[in-house]
Amino acid sequence: MQKRHKELLELLDRSGASLYTLLTRLTLREDIAEELMQELFIKLSNSRGFRKCTSRDAYARKAAINLAFDWRRKLRQKLQFPSEVCELVSNDASPLSKLIQTEELEEILDAIGRLNRLWRQALVMRYIQQQSYDDIAEQMEKTPHHARALCSKALNRLRDVLGANQKNTTEKEI
Amino acid sequence: MSEKDEQQIRYRLKVLSQIEPSSEGLARAKERVRDALSNTEERPKGSRTRIRQVVCNIQTLKTAAAAVLLIGLGFIAGRLFVPAVDTEELQATLEPAIRQRLQEQWRQVYATGFTQIKNELAQQISRDLTEFAEQTLAASSTMTDQRLNELVQLIEAARAKDRQWIAAALEQIELNRRQDNTRLGNGLVTLAARTNDLRRIEEN
Repeated sequence: MQKRHKELLELLDRSGASLYTLLTRLTLREDIAEELMQELFIKLSNSRGFRKCTSRDAYARKAAINLAFDWRRKLRQKLQFPSEVCELVSNDASPLSKLIQTEELEEILDAIGRLNRLWRQALVMRYIQQQSYDDIAEQMEKTPHHARALCSKALNRLRDVLGANQKNTTEKEI
Repeated sequence: MSEKDEQQIRYRLKVLSQIEPSSEGLARAKERVRDALSNTEERPKGSRTRIRQVVCNIQTLKTAAAAVLLIGLGFIAGRLFVPAVDTEELQATLEPAIRQRLQEQWRQVYATGFTQIKNELAQQISRDLTEFAEQTLAASSTMTDQRLNELVQLIEAARAKDRQWIAAALEQIELNRRQDNTRLGNGLVTLAARTNDLRRIEEN
């Protein structure tokens, strides 16, 4: 028990920042990211898979992704998007543009949440965490070539999901 | 979906990848995790529990040994005190009854097997029909999706053309306004010059 506790604290020191950033990016809320981070480590402390797995960082990252998307699924309410969370890329900082940007980000996150677990993980690691194909392959226990194919397929599927969304909206408008 | 949509998706993903949380938030989260972990930490199992387990195991073993001994004694006693049996008479008595019982069992097995085959066949047909219906539905849904997608693209193209026309019209209006301004400016300059000329003539 003491050993596991120590391992978890080491993981917190080593990967705590990246896990917290990941959770913030996927929830768009720092307060929720804090809660999910706490929940994540409690789950890891009780998880047999975590004890047996070879790469603990990768296991924790996968668990964080699943936790964040579970939260998004459960709470389909409108999310706030605090300005301090995100550094805007655009120079245009009008409230309307912020609102539009928030809606766009939420739309894309919801669409990612509808993908299957494997594609979702690949997409988040590649395009949100900006990891290399080699890193993704190592964490997912696949070859780099397979990881690349997985990311590409996931992006295509995401396009389909977003296309279906737009179509539904157009149908409603019609 | 067009290339433009893919660019939009990549742009949004890039925006997501650039979100950075505050350092205060990170510190708070780490503190919360440390607190939670220290609260959930269980006490190690004491040596007393282990001793109790060993004692229980010894007692169980003793009980099992006594039971085996008693069963063995009973068996030996039974073998010693049973009277002799006439095996031929016993066989003659039991044979018709056994034969009848076996015939009944065979009949039952045959009837059950037939019913089972019938049920499995019905289930298989039902499964095939359901699968066929699902496939037909999926094909029809895909076709509808394609048609709707085409419609959406047509509407988008029409809207883009409208926007272009409006932009061109606005540009033309702006051009006209500038030309009007220039003409008005030139007119005013001419008027001022002529006014000066008239004033000079009057003074002379």
